[in-house]
Amino acid sequence: MGAKKFVGLQNFKDMLFGSYSHEFFNAFWHNVYFFIMLSIFEVGLGFIIALMLATRIRGHRVFQTVVYMPNIISMVLVGFIWSMLLNPQWGLINQTLKAIGLGKLAHPWLGDASTALNTIIAVNVWRHIGFYVLVMLAAILDIPKELFEAAYMDGASNWQIVRKVIFPLTVPTFQTLLVLLFIWSFNIFDIVYALEGVQAGPYRSTDVLGTLFYRTAFGGLGSSRTDLGLGAAVSVLIFLIVIPVSILYVRMVERRSER
Amino acid sequence: MMRISTPWKIIIFTILIVHTIIVMIPFSVIFFNSFKTLREIFLRPFSLPEKWSFDNYIKAWEKAELGKAYMNSAFVTSTSVLSILFLSSMIAFVISRYDFPYRRLLYLYIISGLALPARLAIIPIYLILKSFHLLDSLFGLIFVYSATGIPFSVFLLKHFMDMVPKEIEESAIMDGASPWKVFTKIILPLSKPAIVVVTIVNAVGIWNDFFFPLILINSKEKETIPLAVSTFFGEYSHQWELISTALWIAVFPMIVVFFILSKYFISGMTQGALKG
Repeated sequence: MGAKKFVGLQNFKDMLFGSYSHEFFNAFWHNVYFFIMLSIFEVGLGFIIALMLATRIRGHRVFQTVVYMPNIISMVLVGFIWSMLLNPQWGLINQTLKAIGLGKLAHPWLGDASTALNTIIAVNVWRHIGFYVLVMLAAILDIPKELFEAAYMDGASNWQIVRKVIFPLTVPTFQTLLVLLFIWSFNIFDIVYALEGVQAGPYRSTDVLGTLFYRTAFGGLGSSRTDLGLGAAVSVLIFLIVIPVSILYVRMVERRSER
Repeated sequence: MMRISTPWKIIIFTILIVHTIIVMIPFSVIFFNSFKTLREIFLRPFSLPEKWSFDNYIKAWEKAELGKAYMNSAFVTSTSVLSILFLSSMIAFVISRYDFPYRRLLYLYIISGLALPARLAIIPIYLILKSFHLLDSLFGLIFVYSATGIPFSVFLLKHFMDMVPKEIEESAIMDGASPWKVFTKIILPLSKPAIVVVTIVNAVGIWNDFFFPLILINSKEKETIPLAVSTFFGEYSHQWELISTALWIAVFPMIVVFFILSKYFISGMTQGALKG
């Protein structure tokens, strides 16, 4: 660390409009992309799996437990496990594709800029979906049984029940989960670090604000400049993005606890 | 509940089985790899290990210094969780039971921590710990975790204590019980469900955390489990048999604890995240 010197808004200028702006917005849009994809595949798919479990199908308890299990494993460890499975030559994914005659699809999943980000998202879904499933499941099971019975009496189909009974009554849960997901999406770091390193390769195609922050504040091989001030600017910008949603979240939580 | 026809039942059951397999595969791969030689892993990825030897375990355990890492993680996690419980339960008790000026403001100040991801404050945290000479120290980590665990824990405990009826303690106070007695003999025992949630959510979060140790810890003998495995992964990235073993050693105890206490884990962590 050099001597402290007041630079006004220079760090923010560098980040948003100056030499770092390309890198900053590249990372920013990846965070947004994360949020959108995770909304679909974690919250959306989570809701569908929750519906399946809500039928109280045989073995539902075992499924519930297993589905949740990845959530208790540290995110970096999950990343390391998957980086082995996804290894282009020896990883199990490509080996399996070759073994079942789909060798054409074998692919350097993490090494190709066109698939790396989606691969990371898939690993993220693998790790987190259980949480969304169980929260949704709890919300669905909270719905009074009489509503279902009344709907069936009126001759409703299952599809109508999902659309007209379950969905409207789980909207508050969707809201909470999306708000949480937004905050978490802008805090992503571990999984990218474990699968692609702080350089967020290939060619920054998986860079997020978290890894950009780490590189600028604490360095990483090959970064042009490490600078706590510049890093702090990144974290302030993340903070500004997250804070309105965070306030919304605290208010939602507060309101619920007043009931 | 929903009534579904048999064909649908079969479809749903199949999907859930597939999901279960997808969850299990990564774990079983590192488990089987931990008994294989590197040659076996590469040449026969789908077969069972030729012999079940623990050679990899001994090597990985020693080279990654996992024993030390386990001790560090256990020490940091238990100390942090205890201090979180100690501080949060008392703060929650005071806010829930006593009326004093700026009570609401104090409460809002504490739970505003819920809204601010602690990671974003890593630079000030880093500088503060540096000036206290607590960088590269387990106590530095414990301070950080204790502080960052408080907002959520106070929130959950206060909410729970609010629901404990006041009549019980009122009669105890009539009988001359001190506030400390009321706190330890009445409120704490009655808040047990909330304490369980607070313990699990914080313990899992701290045990698994990677970000703070990555930035605050430098020396090998102070690494926690995720950091130790990460360092090992960097050093031995081509020795998959050892990496798999280290990963399995890091993951297996968590899985066991999870299956034993799954009921508490699931309700604790899902409730915890939603309420806090």
